[in-house]
Amino acid sequence: MAGATDLPPKGGFSYDNCARNAMLVEKGLKMPGFLKTGTTIVGLVFQDGVVLGADTRATEGPIVADKNCEKIHYMAPNIYCCGAGTAADTEAVTDMVSSQLQLHRYATGRESRVVTSLTLLKSHLFSYQGHVSAALVLGGVDVTGPHLHTVYPHGSTDTLPFATMGSGSLAAMSVFESKYKEGLTREEGIQLVAEAIRGGIFNDLGSGSNVDVCVITKGKTEYLRNHQLPNPRTYVSSKGYNFTKGQTVVLSTKITQLKPKVEVTEGDAMEE
Amino acid sequence: MKLDVSAMENNFAAHAAGGEDDGGLFGAGADLPAMELPTCPADFDGFQKETKEMLKHKKGTTTLAFIFDKGVIVAADSRASMGGYISSQTVRKIIEINPYMLGTMAGGAADCQFWHRNLGIKCRLHELANKRRISIAGASKLLANILYSYRGMGLSIGTMIAGWDEKGPGLYYVDSEGARLMGSRFSVGSGSLYAYGILDEGYRYVMPVEEAAELARRAIYQATFRDGASGGCVSVYHVGPNGWTKLSGDDVGELHYKYYPVEAIPVEQEMADAPAA
Amino acid sequence: MSIFEYNGSAVVAMVGKNCFAIASDRRLGVQLQTVATDFQRVFKIHDKLYIGLSGLATDAQTLYQRLVFRHKLYQLREERDMKPQTFASLVSALLYEKRFGPYFCQPVIAGLGEDNEPFICTMDCIGAKELAKDFVVSGTASESLYGACESMYKPNMEPEELFETISQALQSSVDRDCLSGWGGFVLLVTPTEVKECVIKGRMD
Repeated sequence: MAGATDLPPKGGFSYDNCARNAMLVEKGLKMPGFLKTGTTIVGLVFQDGVVLGADTRATEGPIVADKNCEKIHYMAPNIYCCGAGTAADTEAVTDMVSSQLQLHRYATGRESRVVTSLTLLKSHLFSYQGHVSAALVLGGVDVTGPHLHTVYPHGSTDTLPFATMGSGSLAAMSVFESKYKEGLTREEGIQLVAEAIRGGIFNDLGSGSNVDVCVITKGKTEYLRNHQLPNPRTYVSSKGYNFTKGQTVVLSTKITQLKPKVEVTEGDAMEE
Repeated sequence: MKLDVSAMENNFAAHAAGGEDDGGLFGAGADLPAMELPTCPADFDGFQKETKEMLKHKKGTTTLAFIFDKGVIVAADSRASMGGYISSQTVRKIIEINPYMLGTMAGGAADCQFWHRNLGIKCRLHELANKRRISIAGASKLLANILYSYRGMGLSIGTMIAGWDEKGPGLYYVDSEGARLMGSRFSVGSGSLYAYGILDEGYRYVMPVEEAAELARRAIYQATFRDGASGGCVSVYHVGPNGWTKLSGDDVGELHYKYYPVEAIPVEQEMADAPAA
Repeated sequence: MSIFEYNGSAVVAMVGKNCFAIASDRRLGVQLQTVATDFQRVFKIHDKLYIGLSGLATDAQTLYQRLVFRHKLYQLREERDMKPQTFASLVSALLYEKRFGPYFCQPVIAGLGEDNEPFICTMDCIGAKELAKDFVVSGTASESLYGACESMYKPNMEPEELFETISQALQSSVDRDCLSGWGGFVLLVTPTEVKECVIKGRMD
């Protein structure tokens, strides 16, 4: 454990706890489950760009941990990425690649290409042999036109005109297979994506809540957060519960007054 | 024991594959979509046992009973839990078998309830047949014999049969492993160790009923405090020559603060100094 | 049994109007045995930023020490306190670093950011952030806490009402959990003051 209290690490995974955790598992304690996005994520290519879509449910086993999470991650101004699988992995891998892309843009002064991010993603995922469980739908528009890809946790990729991923991918794909055609307009594209996501929300238990959509066209990106809200809250009275003051028995109280922070401008004499 | 499962085997595929290929209805042979039967563990009994364990409503419990010069004291908590979840705080774990006999429950709730009720019937029948009440020894042996006959089949019971009969106070410990012990003090359940600590420390044979009840109450209370699976209310019963009486039922939520009163500490005011580093 | 259930815990944070509250139980157990009833799971990072760590107690304390260390380095370099959002990213990074050998902790982060905007967030043990506008829960009593908060929470509560609501939600939840409870600790933070309270609860 020498590294634990040293200076902040330079990056990469740490395996310090692995031996201890393996010992705990051996002693009969179960490893905990992680936050998952049992998910429906989709994407399609329309006449002048790409539409991405996602539901907004995050689950932890049978519990809905987050009813309105964001699954469409930013990669670059012209590239977005939907993530399914272990939430921490999709979040971390997209964050990492997006910062690499940013640095690349600073270095080259050019717009990022979708294939660049695809290669960065797949080479990371492949090197961890599927242990980083992120299933992604990557979409964007660059100088070479609109692109849509899927990335599997083991690092394989597909290039498709329409794609679905996650536990609700079958429900969503059935919508695409029956209704997708080439040369859809923007409105038709958004509508079809929303319909596919709704297919996942209503027919897959791992997916639910709202529809997020992201439309990427040449030179313009629109993130339509909560584009549709097909599952509004119907329970709980508007008044809610009222607790009168003093209902909770307090044994001891400590109140700390916070002083406003004194701004010390550089060069001035210290005031305090 | 091995169950005959030959009827459940998928012999259709075997027939199609091994039969002559006449190119007719079954011509496709092995290519026909045939659904595989779900795999069952080879050990059928083990499977059933596991399932039962999984579904069982277990009670982490603290129960105790002891004999002293004025009869028997029986006490218990009232919590029922399934894993970490508390499913009830108001379970009656002391079962009134008849006016002279009490049973306590620890282990599976359904097992205890059912077999105590069953014991109640048997005791009443004994009374009708013999024109006298059954002895505590006899009643506990009836239960122990039943439990022994089901030994190893998944019952989970740890109980004390306490009461008053012709010979005076009686107390027996009976469990689903087949044990039946006579004794002057017992405690059963996940919190029993904590209860024993108080009980052994404070027990005397000669003491007033109030003091004995307080000892039992304190022992159960301490167990509810330390044991996560015990809690709710502490009920205390006394069995004397004229049968049992319920002495008390105290909510542990209040009992704790009766034993350890707290007064609200006046509000402590503090000014934050320079931002705490 | 899951490693999360070894010590038992319940942590919850709620947002009110320009304020927030974070509360936890006070039990430290070893499975069903209660070892201590004055255990701290809510830690201060700075005056307006707190973290509650549910799960395995040893990891909670280790993680807390590492977080304080990192926050002090930040303070020295930047000469200011961390924003809650920044701190959440730090916790997330620290946890994700141990993706394949995690700390068995589910953190709850609550703080007042710039313009005293309340911020709450929780994570799983490998740092998947879950931002919420209303409340976040974690620990062995999290399932009952979800239910209690879902029905008791109202938007834009004043500090006094927020205190009562979070206390009642915590109490009613831990009373349905064997592994947490034994009193409660509530911390209420407004732009001008911090109120720390030990609240009375069932001791079984």
